[in-house]
Parts: sequence; structure tokens; C-alpha cells
Amino acid sequence: MQEDSVAIVDTLTQVYSQKWTGAEHIEQSNAFIHFMYSNNLIFVVLGVTLIIWAVLLFFMFRVDKKVSSLEEKINTDQK
Amino acid sequence: MKAWKYLVAVWMTLVIAAGILIYIPEIPILEQTARNIFFHVPMWMAMFAMFTTSFIYSIRVLNAHDPLFDIKAESAARVGMVFGICGLMTGSLWARFTWGTWWTFAEPKMNLAALAMMIYVAYFVLRSAFDDEEKRARISAVYNIFAVTTIPFLLYVVPRQLMSLHPGADGNPAFSEITAPELRYVLYPAMVGFIALSFWIYDITHRYKTVQSRIENS
Repeated sequence: MQEDSVAIVDTLTQVYSQKWTGAEHIEQSNAFIHFMYSNNLIFVVLGVTLIIWAVLLFFMFRVDKKVSSLEEKINTDQK
Repeated sequence: MKAWKYLVAVWMTLVIAAGILIYIPEIPILEQTARNIFFHVPMWMAMFAMFTTSFIYSIRVLNAHDPLFDIKAESAARVGMVFGICGLMTGSLWARFTWGTWWTFAEPKMNLAALAMMIYVAYFVLRSAFDDEEKRARISAVYNIFAVTTIPFLLYVVPRQLMSLHPGADGNPAFSEITAPELRYVLYPAMVGFIALSFWIYDITHRYKTVQSRIENS
């Protein structure tokens, strides 16, 4: 173990565990929430990744379309 | 917008979802980080695809002087660099939690990959040194042809001759019978997907640079 493995000490749950209410009252929540809690919360990771990917894709499609319109403009200008 | 770009969007979404969701066997030390293979390795494959594209256009610059070839060679090298930097950063993070360190000079593949990046940094520095467009195109094409020939040696030949922590070095192929076969079902589609994604980014980059140069020269 290296010196910086002090970080393994779980300060987050120690400090916040009383305030973090995420896992409470699961019984009363809907199917989607149940699903997201299953399998050690891996679906939350999937959600985060797909949100990032969707935003990046949206951005790429936009830039691509803008370049296309610039190309059209420059082609009509030169004719 | 061409249809293949929509295909890449859907394909990559499926790859990301599958990479996070598929069952992977329990592997000591690696644990869940074995999933990183779906994202870390394709970075390098995309980089190779881009550097190869760049290489082809550099040869074409020398054959027939067309400013478009030079723009394409430069754009492909740039996109290749972006993927290479992603590969280095993801590799470093992965190394911290499996090998126990962010960076080690005892690991040839890691260091030679960084060296390969430096060789391409020099390509962009070289490009910036010329005002004359034709001169820049020709001399940087010659340099780029040299640069690409170092890549297989730096990333495959030399690391396999040396002691290494990295899979695929120290004599063993990166992806062999010791690797769980399930990983292939996502890894190969991920390689295809990321290479296609790199071509998409390259497509946007060289088109914008073409528009830019036409505005500057008009």
C-alpha cells in the first residue's frame, strides 16, 4: 500500500451517513427506482455514462450540421 | 448528415451499455476494472486508424500536391492524438488501482506510448514553423511518414522484448487464451465503434479546416 491509500478510509459515509437518505423507504418507491437500486447501483453508472454520451452526440451532430451549412454557403458564394 | 453517423451513434450507445452491463467473470486484482478493456484498448485502435489515415494522406501529398491532402493528413493526426491522450489517461488511472501507481518508468509500453505522443507533438510543432503552405505540406508529410513507422515498434515490438506489467508485453499477446472469452463479445464491437467514431470526428475536423483555408485564401 502506498502512502496515499489513506484515502481508502471512508470519510464520506462516516460524515454523511446520517444525512444520506438515498437507501431509505425503497419499499414504497416505484419500479424504476427499485430497478436502479438493484445490482449494487450499476444502473446509476450506466445512466451517468449514457447521459454524457448523449450530450456529446448531440454536440457532434450539431457541429457536423454547422460545418455542412458553412460548406454550402462557401460553395454558393464562389459560384 | 450521412446515414453511417447515425449507425455509429446507435452502435456506440449499445457498446457502452453492454460494456457496463454484461456479466464478466471475477478476476483477482482486476475485479470490475476488467471492463476498462472495452474502452481503454479501442482508444489505441482508433489512434492507429487515424495515424494510418494520416500516413496515407501524407504519401498522397508527396505524390500530387493538393492542399486538401495536407489538411486531411493534419486532421487525422490531430484526432489520433486526442485518442492517444485518452488512452494514456485511462491507462494511468487503471494502473493506479491494479499496478498500484499512476505512472511507472519500469513499464515500457506506458513510457513508449508517451514517447509516441511526443513524436506526434513534434509533427505539429514542425507544421507551425512554416509560412509557405506547399513547403509545410511536403516537409511535414516526410516527417509524418517517419513518425508513423515508429508506432508499431514503440507500441508492439519493443515492449514485447522487455519485462513489463502490461498485458501484451513481455512476450504474451495482449488478448490471448488467458483472457476471458466473454470479453470479446464487447471488445471487438467496441473497437469497430470507436474507430468509426474517430472517422466521424476526423470528418468534421478536416471539413472545418477546408472551409477555414478557403476563407483565408479567398
